[in-house]
Amino acid sequence: MTVYESDLPGVGKKHEVELDDGSRLVIVTHNTGKREVFRRESADSDSERLFELSDDLARQVGTLLEGAYFQPVKTTDIETLLGGNTLLEWVEVGTESDVAGKTLGESDLRQVTGASVIAIERGDEVITSPGGDAVIEAGDMLVVIGPRDACRDFVSLVKGV
Amino acid sequence: MAAELLEFGYLFVVLALTGAVALKLGLSVIPLYVVGGVVVGPYVAGRFGLPYVANGEVVALLAEVGIVLLLFFLGLEFSLDRLRAAQSNIGRAGAIDLVVNLPLGVAIGLALGWTLVEAFLLGGIVYISSSAIVTKTLIDLGWIADPESEPILGTLVFEDLAIAVYLAVVTSLVLGGEGGLVVIGRSLAIAFGFLGVLLVAVQYGTGLFTRVLDVENEEAFVLRTLAVVIPIAGAALALGVSEAVAAFFVGMGFSTSGHRETIERRLTSVRDVFAAIFFFWIGLGTDPTLLAAAAVPLVVAVVLTTPAKVFSGYLGGRVYDLSTHRSLRVGVGLVPRGEFSLVIAALAASGSTQVMREVIPAFAVGYVLVMSALGTVLMQRSDLVERLVFRGGSAGPDT
Repeated sequence: MTVYESDLPGVGKKHEVELDDGSRLVIVTHNTGKREVFRRESADSDSERLFELSDDLARQVGTLLEGAYFQPVKTTDIETLLGGNTLLEWVEVGTESDVAGKTLGESDLRQVTGASVIAIERGDEVITSPGGDAVIEAGDMLVVIGPRDACRDFVSLVKGV
Repeated sequence: MAAELLEFGYLFVVLALTGAVALKLGLSVIPLYVVGGVVVGPYVAGRFGLPYVANGEVVALLAEVGIVLLLFFLGLEFSLDRLRAAQSNIGRAGAIDLVVNLPLGVAIGLALGWTLVEAFLLGGIVYISSSAIVTKTLIDLGWIADPESEPILGTLVFEDLAIAVYLAVVTSLVLGGEGGLVVIGRSLAIAFGFLGVLLVAVQYGTGLFTRVLDVENEEAFVLRTLAVVIPIAGAALALGVSEAVAAFFVGMGFSTSGHRETIERRLTSVRDVFAAIFFFWIGLGTDPTLLAAAAVPLVVAVVLTTPAKVFSGYLGGRVYDLSTHRSLRVGVGLVPRGEFSLVIAALAASGSTQVMREVIPAFAVGYVLVMSALGTVLMQRSDLVERLVFRGGSAGPDT
Protein backbone atom coordinates (compact mmCIF):
# COMPACT_ATOMS: atom_id res chain seq x y z
CA MET A 1 0.00 0.00 0.00
CA THR A 2 1.35 3.40 -0.97
CA VAL A 3 0.31 6.66 0.66
CA TYR A 4 1.13 9.92 -1.11
CA GLU A 5 1.35 13.10 0.93
CA SER A 6 1.32 16.62 -0.47
CA ASP A 7 1.06 20.15 0.88
CA LEU A 8 -1.90 22.36 0.04
CA PRO A 9 -0.65 25.86 0.94
CA GLY A 10 -3.34 27.85 2.70
CA VAL A 11 -5.62 24.83 2.93
CA GLY A 12 -3.86 21.98 4.69
CA LYS A 13 -2.54 18.60 3.63
CA LYS A 14 -3.63 15.91 1.22
CA HIS A 15 -3.07 12.17 1.55
CA GLU A 16 -3.82 9.71 -1.22
CA VAL A 17 -4.14 6.00 -0.43
CA GLU A 18 -3.92 3.49 -3.25
CA LEU A 19 -6.74 0.94 -3.03
CA ASP A 20 -6.69 -2.64 -4.33
CA ASP A 21 -8.89 -1.88 -7.34
CA GLY A 22 -6.54 0.84 -8.60
CA SER A 23 -8.70 3.72 -7.37
CA ARG A 24 -7.46 6.12 -4.73
CA LEU A 25 -8.89 7.34 -1.48
CA VAL A 26 -8.06 11.04 -1.10
CA ILE A 27 -8.12 12.58 2.36
CA VAL A 28 -7.88 16.36 2.59
CA THR A 29 -7.09 17.59 6.10
CA HIS A 30 -7.93 21.28 6.37
CA ASN A 31 -5.99 23.61 8.67
CA THR A 32 -9.29 24.06 10.49
CA GLY A 33 -9.25 20.36 11.37
CA LYS A 34 -12.05 19.43 8.99
CA ARG A 35 -11.44 16.23 6.96
CA GLU A 36 -12.87 15.68 3.53
CA VAL A 37 -12.71 12.20 2.04
CA PHE A 38 -12.86 11.66 -1.70
CA ARG A 39 -12.49 8.67 -3.99
CA ARG A 40 -10.82 8.94 -7.37
CA GLU A 41 -11.70 6.11 -9.74
CA SER A 42 -8.61 6.39 -11.94
CA ALA A 43 -5.79 8.83 -12.58
CA ASP A 44 -7.87 10.60 -15.24
CA SER A 45 -11.17 10.84 -13.46
CA ASP A 46 -12.36 13.52 -11.05
CA SER A 47 -12.46 12.89 -7.35
CA GLU A 48 -15.86 12.23 -5.95
CA ARG A 49 -16.56 13.65 -2.52
CA LEU A 50 -17.69 10.86 -0.20
CA PHE A 51 -18.13 12.65 3.11
CA GLU A 52 -16.65 15.21 5.45
CA LEU A 53 -16.01 15.03 9.16
CA SER A 54 -15.16 17.51 11.88
CA ASP A 55 -11.85 17.06 13.69
CA ASP A 56 -13.45 15.28 16.67
CA LEU A 57 -15.61 12.99 14.57
CA ALA A 58 -12.70 12.13 12.28
CA ARG A 59 -10.60 10.99 15.25
CA GLN A 60 -13.50 8.90 16.57
CA VAL A 61 -14.13 7.26 13.20
CA GLY A 62 -10.39 6.78 12.76
CA THR A 63 -10.09 4.77 15.98
CA LEU A 64 -13.05 2.65 14.93
CA LEU A 65 -11.46 1.92 11.57
CA GLU A 66 -8.21 1.10 13.31
CA GLY A 67 -10.04 -1.61 15.29
CA ALA A 68 -9.34 -0.20 18.73
CA TYR A 69 -12.79 -1.15 20.04
CA PHE A 70 -13.48 -4.42 18.27
CA GLN A 71 -11.26 -6.93 16.53
CA PRO A 72 -13.35 -9.19 14.31
CA VAL A 73 -11.24 -12.31 14.94
CA LYS A 74 -14.06 -14.81 14.93
CA THR A 75 -17.73 -14.67 14.11
CA THR A 76 -20.16 -17.48 13.45
CA ASP A 77 -19.92 -16.92 9.73
CA ILE A 78 -16.30 -16.54 8.81
CA GLU A 79 -15.24 -18.32 5.68
CA THR A 80 -12.07 -18.16 3.73
CA LEU A 81 -11.73 -19.26 0.16
CA LEU A 82 -8.56 -21.26 -0.26
CA GLY A 83 -8.56 -21.17 -4.02
CA GLY A 84 -10.59 -23.22 -6.44
CA ASN A 85 -13.74 -24.37 -4.70
CA THR A 86 -12.32 -25.17 -1.27
CA LEU A 87 -13.52 -23.31 1.79
CA LEU A 88 -12.16 -22.98 5.28
CA GLU A 89 -15.10 -22.29 7.57
CA TRP A 90 -15.85 -21.66 11.24
CA VAL A 91 -19.11 -23.16 12.50
CA GLU A 92 -20.59 -22.80 15.97
CA VAL A 93 -22.41 -25.85 17.38
CA GLY A 94 -25.91 -24.81 18.43
CA THR A 95 -27.52 -26.09 21.66
CA GLU A 96 -30.24 -27.83 19.64
CA SER A 97 -27.71 -29.43 17.31
CA ASP A 98 -28.00 -33.21 16.76
CA VAL A 99 -24.25 -33.65 16.94
CA ALA A 100 -23.84 -32.00 20.34
CA GLY A 101 -22.68 -34.61 22.84
CA LYS A 102 -21.56 -37.11 20.17
CA THR A 103 -18.00 -37.95 19.24
CA LEU A 104 -16.74 -37.03 15.78
CA GLY A 105 -16.81 -40.75 14.89
CA GLU A 106 -20.43 -41.17 16.00
CA SER A 107 -21.62 -38.10 14.16
CA ASP A 108 -20.04 -39.39 10.95
CA LEU A 109 -20.00 -35.82 9.61
CA ARG A 110 -17.23 -36.44 7.09
CA GLN A 111 -19.03 -39.36 5.49
CA VAL A 112 -22.37 -37.53 5.38
CA THR A 113 -21.23 -34.09 4.18
CA GLY A 114 -17.75 -34.48 2.72
CA ALA A 115 -16.24 -31.74 4.89
CA SER A 116 -13.63 -32.48 7.58
CA VAL A 117 -13.23 -30.97 11.02
CA ILE A 118 -9.60 -29.85 11.37
CA ALA A 119 -9.87 -28.17 14.78
CA ILE A 120 -12.28 -27.62 17.65
CA GLU A 121 -12.15 -24.33 19.54
CA ARG A 122 -13.65 -24.55 23.02
CA GLY A 123 -13.29 -21.33 24.96
CA ASP A 124 -9.57 -20.61 25.06
CA GLU A 125 -8.70 -24.21 24.28
CA VAL A 126 -8.01 -25.46 20.78
CA ILE A 127 -8.03 -29.18 19.87
CA THR A 128 -6.14 -29.52 16.64
CA SER A 129 -6.60 -32.50 14.29
CA PRO A 130 -9.27 -34.05 16.54
CA GLY A 131 -9.59 -37.87 16.35
CA GLY A 132 -12.77 -39.88 15.94
CA ASP A 133 -13.17 -40.09 19.72
CA ALA A 134 -13.20 -36.32 20.27
CA VAL A 135 -16.54 -35.21 21.74
CA ILE A 136 -18.44 -32.30 20.19
CA GLU A 137 -20.14 -30.02 22.73
CA ALA A 138 -22.74 -27.32 22.28
CA GLY A 139 -20.99 -23.96 21.96
CA ASP A 140 -17.90 -25.43 20.31
CA MET A 141 -16.49 -23.66 17.28
CA LEU A 142 -15.62 -26.22 14.60
CA VAL A 143 -13.02 -25.31 12.00
CA VAL A 144 -14.00 -27.11 8.85
CA ILE A 145 -12.41 -27.60 5.46
CA GLY A 146 -14.02 -28.92 2.31
CA PRO A 147 -15.70 -28.17 -1.00
CA ARG A 148 -18.18 -25.28 -0.96
CA ASP A 149 -21.32 -27.48 -1.10
CA ALA A 150 -19.99 -29.85 1.52
CA CYS A 151 -19.33 -26.95 3.86
CA ARG A 152 -22.85 -25.64 3.31
CA ASP A 153 -24.36 -29.03 4.19
CA PHE A 154 -22.09 -29.25 7.21
CA VAL A 155 -23.20 -25.86 8.51
CA SER A 156 -26.91 -26.63 8.27
CA LEU A 157 -26.44 -29.98 9.92
CA VAL A 158 -24.31 -28.78 12.81
CA LYS A 159 -26.16 -25.56 13.56
CA GLY A 160 -29.29 -27.63 14.01
CA VAL A 161 -31.57 -25.57 11.81
CA MET B 1 -20.77 60.58 18.37
CA ALA B 2 -24.29 59.14 18.10
CA ALA B 3 -24.43 59.90 14.38
CA GLU B 4 -21.06 58.27 13.78
CA LEU B 5 -21.96 55.18 15.76
CA LEU B 6 -25.23 54.87 13.91
CA GLU B 7 -23.42 55.19 10.59
CA PHE B 8 -20.93 52.56 11.69
CA GLY B 9 -23.81 50.29 12.64
CA TYR B 10 -25.24 50.85 9.16
CA LEU B 11 -21.92 49.66 7.71
CA PHE B 12 -22.06 46.41 9.65
CA VAL B 13 -25.71 45.82 8.74
CA VAL B 14 -24.81 46.12 5.04
CA LEU B 15 -21.78 43.82 5.46
CA ALA B 16 -23.90 41.24 7.27
CA LEU B 17 -26.62 41.39 4.61
CA THR B 18 -24.26 41.16 1.64
CA GLY B 19 -22.38 38.38 3.42
CA ALA B 20 -25.66 36.50 3.84
CA VAL B 21 -26.42 36.91 0.14
CA ALA B 22 -22.97 35.59 -0.77
CA LEU B 23 -23.42 32.60 1.50
CA LYS B 24 -26.86 31.89 0.08
CA LEU B 25 -25.65 32.06 -3.52
CA GLY B 26 -22.39 30.24 -2.80
CA LEU B 27 -20.37 33.21 -4.08
CA SER B 28 -17.24 34.79 -2.70
CA VAL B 29 -17.98 37.57 -0.22
CA ILE B 30 -15.37 39.93 -1.67
CA PRO B 31 -17.25 41.29 -4.72
CA LEU B 32 -20.46 41.54 -2.72
CA TYR B 33 -18.87 43.60 0.07
CA VAL B 34 -17.53 45.93 -2.62
CA VAL B 35 -20.95 46.25 -4.23
CA GLY B 36 -22.49 46.85 -0.81
CA GLY B 37 -20.03 49.71 -0.26
CA VAL B 38 -20.82 51.23 -3.66
CA VAL B 39 -24.58 51.08 -3.11
CA VAL B 40 -24.72 52.64 0.37
CA GLY B 41 -21.77 54.96 -0.29
CA PRO B 42 -21.81 58.69 -1.08
CA TYR B 43 -21.92 58.16 -4.86
CA VAL B 44 -25.13 56.12 -5.00
CA ALA B 45 -27.18 56.35 -1.79
CA GLY B 46 -25.71 59.82 -1.17
CA ARG B 47 -26.70 61.12 -4.60
CA PHE B 48 -30.25 59.90 -4.22
CA GLY B 49 -30.56 61.64 -0.87
CA LEU B 50 -30.76 58.36 1.03
CA PRO B 51 -28.89 57.69 4.26
CA TYR B 52 -25.34 56.80 3.28
CA VAL B 53 -22.02 55.87 4.84
CA ALA B 54 -19.50 58.67 4.37
CA ASN B 55 -16.03 57.83 3.16
CA GLY B 56 -14.53 59.13 6.38
CA GLU B 57 -11.20 58.80 8.11
CA VAL B 58 -12.34 56.15 10.57
CA VAL B 59 -13.46 53.73 7.89
CA ALA B 60 -10.29 54.43 5.92
CA LEU B 61 -8.16 53.67 8.98
CA LEU B 62 -9.96 50.42 9.72
CA ALA B 63 -9.68 49.48 6.04
CA GLU B 64 -5.94 50.09 6.30
CA VAL B 65 -5.81 47.65 9.22
CA GLY B 66 -7.65 45.23 6.93
CA ILE B 67 -4.90 45.49 4.30
CA VAL B 68 -2.24 45.00 6.96
CA LEU B 69 -3.93 41.89 8.38
CA LEU B 70 -4.59 40.41 4.92
CA LEU B 71 -0.91 40.63 4.09
CA PHE B 72 0.11 39.54 7.59
CA PHE B 73 -1.87 36.32 7.12
CA LEU B 74 -0.34 35.85 3.71
CA GLY B 75 3.10 36.02 5.28
CA LEU B 76 1.99 33.63 7.98
CA GLU B 77 1.08 30.98 5.39
CA PHE B 78 4.14 31.70 3.35
CA SER B 79 7.27 29.87 4.22
CA LEU B 80 10.58 30.10 2.46
CA ASP B 81 11.17 26.45 3.31
CA ARG B 82 8.02 25.47 1.47
CA LEU B 83 9.08 27.48 -1.54
CA ARG B 84 12.53 25.91 -1.41
CA ALA B 85 11.15 22.38 -1.03
CA ALA B 86 9.05 22.58 -4.17
CA GLN B 87 11.46 25.01 -5.74
CA SER B 88 11.71 23.81 -9.28
CA ASN B 89 8.01 23.28 -10.00
CA ILE B 90 6.57 26.25 -8.13
CA GLY B 91 9.37 28.44 -9.41
CA ARG B 92 8.85 27.49 -13.05
CA ALA B 93 5.05 27.60 -13.01
CA GLY B 94 5.14 30.88 -11.07
CA ALA B 95 7.72 32.42 -13.39
CA ILE B 96 5.62 31.56 -16.46
CA ASP B 97 2.60 33.13 -14.76
CA LEU B 98 4.62 36.27 -13.99
CA VAL B 99 6.25 36.79 -17.39
CA VAL B 100 2.99 36.28 -19.27
CA ASN B 101 0.53 38.30 -17.20
CA LEU B 102 2.42 41.22 -15.66
CA PRO B 103 3.98 42.47 -18.93
CA LEU B 104 0.63 42.03 -20.68
CA GLY B 105 -1.03 44.37 -18.17
CA VAL B 106 1.82 46.88 -18.49
CA ALA B 107 1.50 46.74 -22.29
CA ILE B 108 -2.24 47.40 -22.09
CA GLY B 109 -1.58 50.42 -19.87
CA LEU B 110 1.08 51.80 -22.21
CA ALA B 111 -1.19 51.23 -25.22
CA LEU B 112 -3.82 53.35 -23.47
CA GLY B 113 -1.29 56.15 -23.34
CA TRP B 114 -0.65 55.88 -19.61
CA THR B 115 2.69 56.59 -17.94
CA LEU B 116 5.00 53.74 -17.03
CA VAL B 117 4.05 53.84 -13.34
CA GLU B 118 0.33 53.84 -14.18
CA ALA B 119 0.83 50.96 -16.58
CA PHE B 120 2.83 49.09 -13.94
CA LEU B 121 -0.09 49.47 -11.52
CA LEU B 122 -2.42 48.03 -14.15
CA GLY B 123 0.05 45.17 -14.69
CA GLY B 124 -0.07 44.26 -11.01
CA ILE B 125 -3.86 44.40 -10.85
CA VAL B 126 -4.32 42.00 -13.76
CA TYR B 127 -1.41 39.76 -12.74
CA ILE B 128 -2.36 38.78 -9.23
CA SER B 129 -5.00 36.07 -8.79
CA SER B 130 -7.22 35.99 -5.74
CA SER B 131 -5.98 33.48 -3.18
CA ALA B 132 -9.24 33.80 -1.26
CA ILE B 133 -11.63 33.23 -4.17
CA VAL B 134 -9.51 30.57 -5.89
CA THR B 135 -9.01 28.55 -2.70
CA LYS B 136 -12.68 28.77 -1.77
CA THR B 137 -13.77 27.62 -5.23
CA LEU B 138 -11.23 24.77 -5.25
CA ILE B 139 -12.76 23.50 -2.02
CA ASP B 140 -16.37 24.05 -3.14
CA LEU B 141 -15.87 22.18 -6.41
CA GLY B 142 -13.80 19.39 -4.88
CA TRP B 143 -10.82 20.17 -7.16
CA ILE B 144 -8.83 20.36 -3.97
CA ALA B 145 -8.53 16.55 -4.03
CA ASP B 146 -7.32 16.43 -7.65
CA PRO B 147 -3.77 16.92 -8.93
CA GLU B 148 -4.57 20.33 -10.47
CA SER B 149 -4.84 21.87 -7.01
CA GLU B 150 -1.07 21.57 -6.52
CA PRO B 151 0.10 23.81 -9.37
CA ILE B 152 -2.78 26.22 -8.68
CA LEU B 153 -1.89 26.63 -5.00
CA GLY B 154 1.82 26.57 -5.82
CA THR B 155 1.39 29.41 -8.30
CA LEU B 156 -0.53 31.38 -5.68
CA VAL B 157 2.39 30.94 -3.27
CA PHE B 158 4.76 32.29 -5.90
CA GLU B 159 2.43 35.21 -6.58
CA ASP B 160 2.38 36.01 -2.86
CA LEU B 161 6.13 36.49 -2.88
CA ALA B 162 6.04 38.37 -6.19
CA ILE B 163 3.36 40.72 -4.89
CA ALA B 164 5.44 41.50 -1.79
CA VAL B 165 8.38 42.59 -3.94
CA TYR B 166 6.03 44.34 -6.37
CA LEU B 167 4.27 46.34 -3.63
CA ALA B 168 7.59 47.38 -2.14
CA VAL B 169 8.68 48.80 -5.49
CA VAL B 170 5.37 50.30 -6.55
CA THR B 171 4.74 52.00 -3.20
CA SER B 172 7.99 53.88 -3.65
CA LEU B 173 7.12 54.75 -7.23
CA VAL B 174 3.65 56.03 -6.34
CA LEU B 175 4.50 57.83 -3.11
CA GLY B 176 7.77 59.13 -4.63
CA GLY B 177 5.44 60.89 -7.04
CA GLU B 178 6.76 63.24 -9.63
CA GLY B 179 9.96 63.93 -7.76
CA GLY B 180 12.09 62.50 -10.52
CA LEU B 181 14.64 59.74 -10.49
CA VAL B 182 16.57 60.98 -7.47
CA VAL B 183 13.52 61.05 -5.21
CA ILE B 184 12.32 57.68 -6.47
CA GLY B 185 15.82 56.25 -6.07
CA ARG B 186 15.97 57.51 -2.52
CA SER B 187 12.55 56.15 -1.59
CA LEU B 188 13.43 52.79 -3.15
CA ALA B 189 16.64 52.75 -1.11
CA ILE B 190 14.69 53.52 2.09
CA ALA B 191 12.11 50.84 1.21
CA PHE B 192 14.63 48.11 0.62
CA GLY B 193 16.76 49.25 3.54
CA PHE B 194 13.80 49.10 5.91
CA LEU B 195 12.48 45.82 4.52
CA GLY B 196 15.96 44.32 4.50
CA VAL B 197 16.41 45.14 8.19
CA LEU B 198 12.94 43.77 8.89
CA LEU B 199 13.69 40.58 6.98
CA VAL B 200 16.89 40.02 8.95
CA ALA B 201 15.00 40.79 12.16
CA VAL B 202 12.29 38.23 11.45
CA GLN B 203 14.84 35.63 10.35
CA TYR B 204 16.83 35.93 13.57
CA GLY B 205 14.06 37.14 15.83
CA THR B 206 12.10 33.90 15.90
CA GLY B 207 13.01 33.36 19.54
CA LEU B 208 11.74 36.79 20.44
CA PHE B 209 8.47 36.29 18.54
CA THR B 210 8.01 32.97 20.31
CA ARG B 211 8.52 34.54 23.74
CA VAL B 212 6.24 37.49 23.03
CA LEU B 213 3.37 35.15 22.20
CA ASP B 214 4.06 32.66 24.96
CA VAL B 215 0.88 33.36 26.84
CA GLU B 216 -2.13 31.17 27.53
CA ASN B 217 -4.68 33.95 27.82
CA GLU B 218 -6.48 34.36 24.51
CA GLU B 219 -7.08 38.07 24.83
CA ALA B 220 -3.46 38.79 25.70
CA PHE B 221 -2.35 36.65 22.76
CA VAL B 222 -4.50 38.55 20.24
CA LEU B 223 -3.48 41.94 21.60
CA ARG B 224 0.23 41.09 21.59
CA THR B 225 0.05 39.92 17.98
CA LEU B 226 -1.63 43.16 16.92
CA ALA B 227 0.82 45.13 19.06
CA VAL B 228 3.66 43.77 16.95
CA VAL B 229 2.13 43.86 13.48
CA ILE B 230 0.38 47.21 13.43
CA PRO B 231 3.15 49.43 14.83
CA ILE B 232 5.68 47.93 12.41
CA ALA B 233 3.30 48.48 9.49
CA GLY B 234 2.71 52.03 10.70
CA ALA B 235 6.43 52.72 10.97
CA ALA B 236 6.88 51.44 7.44
CA LEU B 237 4.17 53.72 6.07
CA ALA B 238 5.63 56.69 7.96
CA LEU B 239 8.87 56.11 6.05
CA GLY B 240 7.00 55.82 2.74
CA VAL B 241 7.47 52.04 2.67
CA SER B 242 4.65 49.63 1.88
CA GLU B 243 2.84 48.82 5.14
CA ALA B 244 1.44 45.73 3.44
CA VAL B 245 4.87 44.30 2.71
CA ALA B 246 6.08 45.08 6.22
CA ALA B 247 3.07 43.16 7.57
CA PHE B 248 3.85 40.30 5.18
CA PHE B 249 7.39 40.05 6.57
CA VAL B 250 6.17 40.14 10.16
CA GLY B 251 3.80 37.32 9.25
CA MET B 252 6.74 35.35 7.86
CA GLY B 253 8.54 35.89 11.15
CA PHE B 254 5.60 34.58 13.15
CA SER B 255 5.14 31.59 10.85
CA THR B 256 8.29 29.93 12.19
CA SER B 257 7.66 30.87 15.81
CA GLY B 258 5.59 27.76 16.48
CA HIS B 259 2.51 29.90 17.08
CA ARG B 260 1.29 29.93 13.50
CA GLU B 261 -1.74 27.73 14.02
CA THR B 262 -2.76 29.52 17.19
CA ILE B 263 -2.57 32.87 15.42
CA GLU B 264 -4.65 31.55 12.56
CA ARG B 265 -7.24 30.14 14.92
CA ARG B 266 -7.51 33.20 17.13
CA LEU B 267 -7.05 36.05 14.66
CA THR B 268 -8.86 34.83 11.56
CA SER B 269 -12.11 36.43 12.68
CA VAL B 270 -10.28 39.67 13.53
CA ARG B 271 -8.76 39.71 10.05
CA ASP B 272 -12.11 38.91 8.43
CA VAL B 273 -13.82 41.85 10.14
CA PHE B 274 -11.16 44.34 9.06
CA ALA B 275 -10.83 42.83 5.58
CA ALA B 276 -14.60 43.13 5.12
CA ILE B 277 -14.36 46.82 6.07
CA PHE B 278 -11.52 47.18 3.57
CA PHE B 279 -13.62 45.75 0.70
CA PHE B 280 -16.55 47.88 1.77
CA TRP B 281 -14.33 50.97 1.90
CA ILE B 282 -13.13 50.26 -1.64
CA GLY B 283 -16.78 50.31 -2.66
CA LEU B 284 -17.40 53.58 -0.78
CA GLY B 285 -14.70 55.28 -2.81
CA THR B 286 -16.01 54.03 -6.14
CA ASP B 287 -18.07 56.41 -8.22
CA PRO B 288 -20.04 54.23 -10.65
CA THR B 289 -20.02 57.03 -13.22
CA LEU B 290 -16.23 56.77 -13.25
CA LEU B 291 -16.63 53.16 -14.34
CA ALA B 292 -17.68 54.63 -17.67
CA ALA B 293 -14.29 56.33 -17.98
CA ALA B 294 -12.65 53.01 -17.18
CA ALA B 295 -14.87 51.05 -19.58
CA VAL B 296 -12.37 50.84 -22.42
CA PRO B 297 -9.42 49.61 -20.35
CA LEU B 298 -11.83 47.30 -18.54
CA VAL B 299 -13.13 45.59 -21.67
CA VAL B 300 -9.66 45.36 -23.20
CA ALA B 301 -8.22 43.93 -20.00
CA VAL B 302 -10.96 41.33 -19.51
CA VAL B 303 -10.76 40.17 -23.12
CA LEU B 304 -6.96 39.90 -23.14
CA THR B 305 -6.03 38.87 -19.62
CA THR B 306 -8.55 36.04 -19.24
CA PRO B 307 -7.09 33.88 -22.03
CA ALA B 308 -3.57 34.92 -21.03
CA LYS B 309 -4.11 33.62 -17.49
CA VAL B 310 -5.65 30.39 -18.79
CA PHE B 311 -2.68 29.96 -21.11
CA SER B 312 0.01 30.64 -18.50
CA GLY B 313 -1.80 28.37 -16.02
CA TYR B 314 -2.02 25.66 -18.67
CA LEU B 315 1.75 25.85 -19.16
CA GLY B 316 2.17 25.77 -15.39
CA GLY B 317 0.12 22.58 -15.24
CA ARG B 318 2.32 21.04 -17.92
CA VAL B 319 5.38 21.90 -15.80
CA TYR B 320 3.82 19.64 -13.15
CA ASP B 321 3.45 16.89 -15.80
CA LEU B 322 -0.33 17.04 -15.71
CA SER B 323 -2.51 15.95 -18.63
CA THR B 324 -3.75 18.59 -21.09
CA HIS B 325 -7.20 18.26 -19.55
CA ARG B 326 -5.97 18.94 -16.02
CA SER B 327 -3.52 21.63 -17.15
CA LEU B 328 -6.34 23.58 -18.74
CA ARG B 329 -8.14 23.48 -15.40
CA VAL B 330 -5.05 24.93 -13.72
CA GLY B 331 -5.36 27.87 -16.12
CA VAL B 332 -9.08 28.29 -15.53
CA GLY B 333 -8.53 27.97 -11.79
CA LEU B 334 -6.25 31.01 -11.70
CA VAL B 335 -8.63 33.40 -13.47
CA PRO B 336 -10.41 34.90 -10.42
CA ARG B 337 -8.88 38.21 -9.25
CA GLY B 338 -9.79 39.77 -5.95
CA GLU B 339 -8.32 41.13 -2.76
CA PHE B 340 -4.78 41.89 -3.94
CA SER B 341 -5.91 43.71 -7.07
CA LEU B 342 -7.93 45.91 -4.72
CA VAL B 343 -4.92 46.42 -2.42
CA ILE B 344 -3.00 47.71 -5.45
CA ALA B 345 -5.96 49.92 -6.38
CA ALA B 346 -5.97 51.41 -2.87
CA LEU B 347 -2.29 52.22 -3.34
CA ALA B 348 -2.97 53.79 -6.74
CA ALA B 349 -5.65 56.00 -5.21
CA SER B 350 -2.99 57.72 -3.11
CA GLY B 351 -1.06 58.65 -6.26
CA SER B 352 -0.74 62.04 -7.85
CA THR B 353 -2.17 61.76 -11.36
CA GLN B 354 -5.81 61.72 -12.37
CA VAL B 355 -5.43 58.24 -13.88
CA MET B 356 -4.09 56.91 -10.57
CA ARG B 357 -6.62 58.65 -8.37
CA GLU B 358 -9.75 57.97 -10.41
CA VAL B 359 -9.39 55.68 -13.42
CA ILE B 360 -7.29 52.89 -11.89
CA PRO B 361 -9.39 52.41 -8.71
CA ALA B 362 -12.62 52.40 -10.74
CA PHE B 363 -11.00 50.05 -13.23
CA ALA B 364 -9.83 47.72 -10.46
CA VAL B 365 -13.29 47.55 -8.90
CA GLY B 366 -14.91 46.78 -12.25
CA TYR B 367 -12.17 44.30 -13.12
CA VAL B 368 -12.44 42.45 -9.81
CA LEU B 369 -16.23 42.30 -10.03
CA VAL B 370 -16.03 40.85 -13.55
CA MET B 371 -13.09 38.52 -12.97
CA SER B 372 -14.25 37.13 -9.63
CA ALA B 373 -17.60 36.19 -11.18
CA LEU B 374 -16.20 35.12 -14.54
CA GLY B 375 -13.42 33.09 -12.93
CA THR B 376 -15.80 31.26 -10.63
CA VAL B 377 -18.25 30.54 -13.47
CA LEU B 378 -15.45 29.29 -15.73
CA MET B 379 -14.29 26.95 -12.97
CA GLN B 380 -17.81 25.64 -12.43
CA ARG B 381 -18.28 25.12 -16.18
CA SER B 382 -14.75 24.00 -16.95
CA ASP B 383 -16.19 21.18 -19.07
CA LEU B 384 -17.52 23.77 -21.53
CA VAL B 385 -14.19 25.59 -21.56
CA GLU B 386 -12.46 22.32 -22.35
CA ARG B 387 -14.81 21.56 -25.23
CA LEU B 388 -14.30 25.06 -26.57
CA VAL B 389 -10.51 24.90 -26.34
CA PHE B 390 -10.06 21.35 -27.56
CA ARG B 391 -12.80 21.65 -30.22
CA GLY B 392 -15.05 18.74 -29.37
CA GLY B 393 -12.44 16.42 -27.93
CA SER B 394 -10.09 16.45 -30.93
CA ALA B 395 -7.23 16.77 -28.46
CA GLY B 396 -7.48 13.03 -28.06
CA PRO B 397 -6.43 11.03 -25.06
CA ASP B 398 -4.55 12.58 -22.23
CA THR B 399 -0.84 12.58 -22.63
